[in-house]
Amino acid sequence: MRIGSHELKIEKRLMLVGWQAAVISILAIMFALALFSIIFVLAGINPLLAYQEIFSYAFANPYGLPLTINRFIFLLLCTYAFIIPFRAGLWNIGMTGQLYAGTLGAFAILFAFGGKNSHTAELSPEILIPLMLIAAALGGGVLGAIPGFLKGKFNINEIVVTMMLNFIVFWLVAFMIKEGGLFMNPGGRGESFELPPSVYAPLITGVPFTIFLGLGLAVLLYFLFAKTKIGYQIRAYGHNPAAARYAGISTFKIPLLVFVIGGAVAGLAGYHYFAAVPGVYKIARNYGFFGDLAFYGIICGLISLGNPLLSIPVALLFGGLSIGGRFVQGKLHIGFGVDYALLGVLMITLVAFQFFYRYRLVLRPLKGSDE
Amino acid sequence: MQNGLLESIKRGETVLEARGITKRFPGVLANDRIDFEIKAGEIHAILGENGAGKTTLMNILFGLYQPDEGEVIIGGKEVKFRSPLDAIDLGIGMVHQNRKLVSAHTVIENIVLGHPRAGKILDLKRTGHEINELCDRYGFKIDLRAKVWQLSEGEKQVVEILKALYRGAKVLILDEPTSALAPPETKKLLASIEAMARDELAIVPFITHKLPIVLAISDRVTVLRRGRVTARLETARVTEKSLAKEMVGREVIFRLERTSVEKGEPILQVENLSAVSDKGFLALKGISFSVREGEIFGIAGVSGNGQHELAEILAGLRKAEGGKVTLGGRDITYCTSLERWQMGIGYIPSERTEVGSIGDFSLVENVTMNFYFDDAYSQRGIVDYRNIRKLTQEIVSEYSVMAPSPDTKAKNLSGGNLQKLILARVLSRRPRLLIANLPTQGLDVGATEFVRNKLMEAKKQKAGIILISEDLDEVLSLSDWVAPIYEGEFMGIIAGEETKRDRVGAMMAGSRSSLFPPQVGEDEGGKET
Repeated sequence: MRIGSHELKIEKRLMLVGWQAAVISILAIMFALALFSIIFVLAGINPLLAYQEIFSYAFANPYGLPLTINRFIFLLLCTYAFIIPFRAGLWNIGMTGQLYAGTLGAFAILFAFGGKNSHTAELSPEILIPLMLIAAALGGGVLGAIPGFLKGKFNINEIVVTMMLNFIVFWLVAFMIKEGGLFMNPGGRGESFELPPSVYAPLITGVPFTIFLGLGLAVLLYFLFAKTKIGYQIRAYGHNPAAARYAGISTFKIPLLVFVIGGAVAGLAGYHYFAAVPGVYKIARNYGFFGDLAFYGIICGLISLGNPLLSIPVALLFGGLSIGGRFVQGKLHIGFGVDYALLGVLMITLVAFQFFYRYRLVLRPLKGSDE
Repeated sequence: MQNGLLESIKRGETVLEARGITKRFPGVLANDRIDFEIKAGEIHAILGENGAGKTTLMNILFGLYQPDEGEVIIGGKEVKFRSPLDAIDLGIGMVHQNRKLVSAHTVIENIVLGHPRAGKILDLKRTGHEINELCDRYGFKIDLRAKVWQLSEGEKQVVEILKALYRGAKVLILDEPTSALAPPETKKLLASIEAMARDELAIVPFITHKLPIVLAISDRVTVLRRGRVTARLETARVTEKSLAKEMVGREVIFRLERTSVEKGEPILQVENLSAVSDKGFLALKGISFSVREGEIFGIAGVSGNGQHELAEILAGLRKAEGGKVTLGGRDITYCTSLERWQMGIGYIPSERTEVGSIGDFSLVENVTMNFYFDDAYSQRGIVDYRNIRKLTQEIVSEYSVMAPSPDTKAKNLSGGNLQKLILARVLSRRPRLLIANLPTQGLDVGATEFVRNKLMEAKKQKAGIILISEDLDEVLSLSDWVAPIYEGEFMGIIAGEETKRDRVGAMMAGSRSSLFPPQVGEDEGGKET
């Protein structure tokens, strides 16, 4: 394309440095916000005002910020549940089912210790909270083991299996919490019994301790992939299973392992939302909403290119925008779901801008010769 | 565009000309002022090592790249290709080395695919007649109703040629035309190429090694080295040696002296081994042999006769159906590939990019493939990348792997450099038993020489080596024992000094050696005669 005496060309990039990727992502976010402001304008709303409301509520408001952080922790854990198999070249579309399974595991512990019958039961948090965490990880891990085993043993497509399991576990949760279910709330209402306050997750300045799980896992996973033998085996399998097999890496153990770990992390996300976030403390009637939200883990994982550290800002942004979007929708009386619409536009732009990870635009003076 | 520029071209007139073609890629000058021309009815080969700029030139002539400088002239008029479609419309046909065919479709469907007449109403009957005429004229034999996946590599190439001819190609670019063909197929192809040239077609074969092919068919040859034309010669006036010299830039030794090393203890013992191929038929039918320290056991055969399955079984990548494999007296028939690496078996796979390396990994990470399990390079679950980097640097300099840095991705290496890296990685484990599956396939003259020398070195260091090759000369010149393989069986096991080229060639095609009856081979491992 010609611009005055220069021409604009698309060239292939030979390599991409970290800061270039960051710049591209920031540009993509700005572009998405600019694009979405058209929608605000069409709805008769000043986009600058809308964005100011969104961001200040999500990141600077005493009510909004904790919501953002809780959602961020949830998204971050879901992102890891996606990333771990993703680094082995496998697609985990089953975070939803795995987080439900984890939640059921955590509530099963409560149930076993009599948490259902007495809301005021004085249960010992030092024992029960670790047990609930283990049970949540176990629940998610066991569900993850199914696609992992089938992939490793029979090379069955993991996307189909994880996706179908989502439906099964969704209805399993309904079976457990609705009329006549084991975990049914004594008052009915289509939700589970509530956590006894004695086993509420400890809060640090209002934020559940699960944030340390999320941030700790970031460092741990980064280390795992960069330095360890098992991380190397996972990456080798992810890039080229045949070559990995040649190098003596088990093509059965790796898929199984990544899905078990991924599922376990998703299980922890379930624990986080239904047993650690202040104000929830039960499997709520709208648990399907959080299941849908878990899919944003895929988006965050793809945008951060499978890098666990990069996932942190991405998940924070997505968490904040979803909270702020919902808030501004009510405040400015907008007639559509700003949160999901905004996330959708952002997601498409971020993925589209990954074009520039591989190509770049160059502006150079035209040569004398003409076509 | 200007269709029909080549309609009325006559023998001896210049069909295609490239003047001063220059193409730069970031950091590389791939083509540097290349001039090239070809006349109707001429076969003009382009010869060069991997990385000499052949592929770039080919892609420019076919419209896939635009040159930075220089021009392409067809039938006397300068043309600019925006895409291969323009090139095809102007009568340029391309036969790719990696066949670009739809394997679930029939031959005729593939030929018609993309033809301007297709997409409206397909008259397969008329088309079939026309294609059959082409076949008759140039001596191609092919079943037009066969599905492409059922075809051999040679037949697929015929389909590509027919496709180009049917589109009305006047210039035919052939990328490594004989690289995947067995000797009889090669012979047929060469005859067809000559027939096409007699019909006024201009033919441009791009060739990396296989110098005899260049000598056999071309009228002229243009040699490329490092992006430049180093020689433009009449084929009648050159020899294999002088061509190699132009190509590599120095003298090349074609024959290796078979050094004899004192034979050590037997390392590998294979008894009555059988295996099933991926397609489910019996690929190995009870093979027995043994390999001792310091000797090269050569297996000669055309691909698909069971040698690949044999290599995979020995490397632990395929299950044996029956039989027994012992390494240094220990039964390893059921050992995993990891255990075999640790026991000192090294495997160089024939599929360099699909199995032997990981394209998106750096050289360091590719070297890690054979060391991550080694206590010297990983402790308590942590890989010692610093140490492996050091090893990689040693490998890169000792084997002169051309790469900007140890962090370069393996996919950016040329075939020869990648093979050097794989070879170096495996050899630096100092394997007791080395299985080299087609170690020089597709390599240029310089890299081939290098790989063969390294195999000889490993032999001197007492490694037992199984060399699997389709190149009869390679097997004959390197091996202490030669076992021609045909349909899953050895046709005999012959001492290296006693081999005769003709007889081994015949054995590769299935005739048994009467002088060396196979039962000797099966009972005694074939060595003690």
